Amino acid sequence: MVLFDSLRYRRGALLVLLVLATACQRAPYTATAHFVPTTSQGVSKTQAEDPVIAALIAPYHDKVTAQMTEVLGQAPTEIRKNPGESPLGNFVADLQRTRASQALGQPVALGVMTNGGLRSALPAGPVTMGNIFELMPFENEIVVLDAPGPVVQQLFDYAARIKMGISGATYTVTFDGMPKDIKIGDQLFDVNQERLWPIAISDYLASGGDNMVFFKSITPRHTNILLRNAIADHIRLLTKEGKPVEGKVDGRVKAN
Amino acid sequence: MNRRSFLRNSVLGTAGLTALGSLATTAAVAGVAKAPIKLTILHTNDVHSRIEPFPEGSGQWAGMGGAARRAALIKEIRAKEANVLLLDSGDVFQGTPYFNFFGGELEYKLMSQMGYDATTLGNHDFDNGLEGLQRQLPHANFPFLIANYDFSKTALAGRFQPYKVFEKQGVRIGVFGLGIELAGLVSERNFGETVYLDPVETARKMVTQLRGPERCDLVICLSHLGYKFDNSPNKIHDLKLAAEVAGIDLILGGHTHTFLEKPEAIEGPGGHKTLINQVGWSGINLGRLDYEFAPGSKRPGLAGAAVVPVRDVC
Repeated sequence: MVLFDSLRYRRGALLVLLVLATACQRAPYTATAHFVPTTSQGVSKTQAEDPVIAALIAPYHDKVTAQMTEVLGQAPTEIRKNPGESPLGNFVADLQRTRASQALGQPVALGVMTNGGLRSALPAGPVTMGNIFELMPFENEIVVLDAPGPVVQQLFDYAARIKMGISGATYTVTFDGMPKDIKIGDQLFDVNQERLWPIAISDYLASGGDNMVFFKSITPRHTNILLRNAIADHIRLLTKEGKPVEGKVDGRVKAN
Repeated sequence: MNRRSFLRNSVLGTAGLTALGSLATTAAVAGVAKAPIKLTILHTNDVHSRIEPFPEGSGQWAGMGGAARRAALIKEIRAKEANVLLLDSGDVFQGTPYFNFFGGELEYKLMSQMGYDATTLGNHDFDNGLEGLQRQLPHANFPFLIANYDFSKTALAGRFQPYKVFEKQGVRIGVFGLGIELAGLVSERNFGETVYLDPVETARKMVTQLRGPERCDLVICLSHLGYKFDNSPNKIHDLKLAAEVAGIDLILGGHTHTFLEKPEAIEGPGGHKTLINQVGWSGINLGRLDYEFAPGSKRPGLAGAAVVPVRDVC
């Protein structure tokens, strides 16, 4: 406290002196930096680890490693993603629709997943949690959009241009890239029908991602389920039921 | 003029001379030659759950970073320097499975163990919502400084503070925090009833408080506003903040993951110079600025600054 008081006293003395001597020094905090030879050290490549911190990390590291290497199921063949109707796209869009329907306790007519949203294929053989993280590194949530006829039409227009599959529906792409014979469930789609079609989709796409701007105006219903967890849960369920992990192109998109 | 020569010319060239002049005067007035008080500021931003170094084969940053190495480096510096402040500018969360699995628990534990003095909130620190953030707070033994988010209508009311004053050998250092606008960046249900307040107005209030009643000798802003946004002229960022608000000595920035080679000096209203620094992301670097406070004046003089890369052991 003695030191502190004397410092404060000296500052007062300095201020008086400065005000008398140089008016420009009166500003409360002019930068008064002066560079002396730098005292900072560059860290060489020999930077060692702090053992306390390393020990704190170790059990977490082991848990992460164990979880990432956990085998969730077996894929007889690689589940690829490719332009047009894709095995991986169908696989994810389908499980997304099923899961959303369970979460909301009501039928969900359609499921949408773009190729861009899926970051890598599922390799043949054991499918690990690490694979699911590579496929879906984002914290995307499954949401449900209640879309009127014209928005559903825009979705199929978008899908037809790239021959993308949509879960819960079949359609045919015309020679000029337009959708026709759209069936949702068993029903022929009628754009003018006064109703809403629930669509299971990621919150990323629902907010207009991948240029799905036509969804932006619809307020999503939340499921609070992360898409990544939904994928992992689905694969675990398949394994429990003794089923392999498979994604198939089943002709939900027909091209003329 | 490039940034480095701007810094030299403006800070070293003109102000440097007056600083040396006043040092001499002070010594004469005091009649005693005392060693200046030194303050070392270490800082990180956007560490993004990078607990371990980037794995080998992961591209540009492979082998860089890692909490255990950063901790050792901080310890080495603390062993040599009497007055160290260790600060972070937000986005502690999100980026590796450690966050997905443990929700930020390990990140806060490590920061506590390393002796962080304060952090602010980044947009990704809301990624598990207000509840997710609240759940991890017991793992943090350091304060969260955030002046422009009003949490009073949320479950986190009273959990954060706008600023904190640190005292080192009688030198008072005021640190306050500023966060980026959450709407449009963070999903609404994740920030709930948190109210975003204008950063410029808030910063002015903070400076008034810290320079006035709190009698601070150095004012530092932990900012998660971002270094600059070229394509959004109306968006606030650190360069603009420094130019519009008088009296901030140092802005430790984040959000834009900007690698600044040297702190950048910006002249604000009244000619006060504000230094801005940001050291990339993921703990690839540890920022370091050394200040000297001349006896009697207690005015800060920046002695040196460096970006300290956290590298692989070879």
